[in-house]
Amino acid sequence: MIDAEAETVVDCDWHYQDSFKEVAEYMPEPWHTKYKNSFWEDSGVTQALSSFFPTSTGDRQNYGKVLREHSNYPEEPEDPERVTEGMDFLDIDVSLQISHLILAMGGVTADDERVQAFTKGYIEYMLEEVLDPDEGVYGLAPMPYGDVEASLDILERVEDEEAYVGACFVTAGASPPLGNRKYDPIYERCEEMDFPVVYHTGGSGLDEYVRAGYQEMIETHTLGFLESNMSQIVSVACQGVPEKYPDLDIVFMESGVTYIPGLVSRLDEEYLKRPEEAPLLDTRPSEYITDFYFGTQPLEVSARNDLLELCFDMIGTDRLLYASDYPHWDFDSPSIINELPMLDDDERRAILGGNALEVFEI
Amino acid sequence: MSDAENLVEVGPASEFEDGDAEIVQVGRAEVGVIRAEGEFYAIRNQCPHDGGPVCKGNVQKELVGEFKGTGKRVDQQYSDTDIISCPWHGWSFELETGIHIGDDRIRVPTYDVVVDDGIVYVDSGD
Ligand code: FES
Repeated sequence: MIDAEAETVVDCDWHYQDSFKEVAEYMPEPWHTKYKNSFWEDSGVTQALSSFFPTSTGDRQNYGKVLREHSNYPEEPEDPERVTEGMDFLDIDVSLQISHLILAMGGVTADDERVQAFTKGYIEYMLEEVLDPDEGVYGLAPMPYGDVEASLDILERVEDEEAYVGACFVTAGASPPLGNRKYDPIYERCEEMDFPVVYHTGGSGLDEYVRAGYQEMIETHTLGFLESNMSQIVSVACQGVPEKYPDLDIVFMESGVTYIPGLVSRLDEEYLKRPEEAPLLDTRPSEYITDFYFGTQPLEVSARNDLLELCFDMIGTDRLLYASDYPHWDFDSPSIINELPMLDDDERRAILGGNALEVFEI
Repeated sequence: MSDAENLVEVGPASEFEDGDAEIVQVGRAEVGVIRAEGEFYAIRNQCPHDGGPVCKGNVQKELVGEFKGTGKRVDQQYSDTDIISCPWHGWSFELETGIHIGDDRIRVPTYDVVVDDGIVYVDSGD
């Protein structure tokens, strides 16, 4: 087993627990004033989140059982120093910051400018105060994909910023799903910029997202992320995004790995019966999907070893990217990867850092 | 050229309309001889999916799509390629080559057809 501490570890999914109070300072008008006038700084991040974006329910801290420092949504605005403290705690050299607040954007269905205003403010705030390539702190630029023009503006804004290494689509609720031609211009631009597209699920309105009426987080948290990733993967693959933009790197985050063999097997089965409905594909969808990259968290280490081994084999260890999801309650530390018995040391190094350094050109 | 003793007689060409399929036994295999747009094809009547009677399926043109540019709808047109679709679950093969239209690693065996003096024969390839 390698000494993970001595290796370069890249964490592809770190959540900066941004606060509206801080980001609002950078938002365009009229949103800047709207937020400043809304007293949100008095109500803490948790309250602000539910006031702005639709929320999910359920106590992520497992009703008092998860007691780790920084595991809960902070009462105070996030302090950029905590990123480097956390990276030290996990022995991570490079982290890709994903906005925590934006995870709920999928639940916004109004055609107002809330998501655009937030993302624009967030980009500036992170650049100004948090991201620091010298310290290994990079960012993924959230795409307000419902508004293609605004997304292109953001790509333009970050194009020459070393600190941003990819675009992030928070996928929960994306409608139409993200293979739709509507989003083509964003993919085209990302391909041109060599900017990987990271699909990150979100917990937005989880209780109602898959089906209304679930009672516990164990139910919605198991299904919400999974359903979101699966629906976007099917759409992106069947509508031929990888054929249209063959140099675009596609990354899916946060559903572990065991769902992929099941999904692609099922999709291939459909495809062989009706390939003309996915006319841009040259061969089975699985061959495209296993060319995508996948974040490992939350890795199903409790699964049977032979199942995990099969999943790694089908996806390819050159396609897996270590992700912690820190500081969220169900984070994975690098040892989760390092201790997998079926990997050799080169594969461990690749998953922990090597693959990500290449994909994100860090 | 095919060797006369390899030829399995199917029947008079004049009795085939476009779309007609005639099943004959070629060695141990059931083979369908199909007429499409005046041409004859022969393909094994056993689907690699689950053994379905491929040759009883519909013959039609393959629908293909072309990417016309960012943001544009995929342009869908029928191509010149004739395909035959297994009537059980729809697996579809190029009539001429027997190759599955979605995965070229899957293939139904095809045979040469000879029309001699108005009579259609399948070349068993033996
Ligand atoms: S048996 Fe031919 S498609 Fe299923």
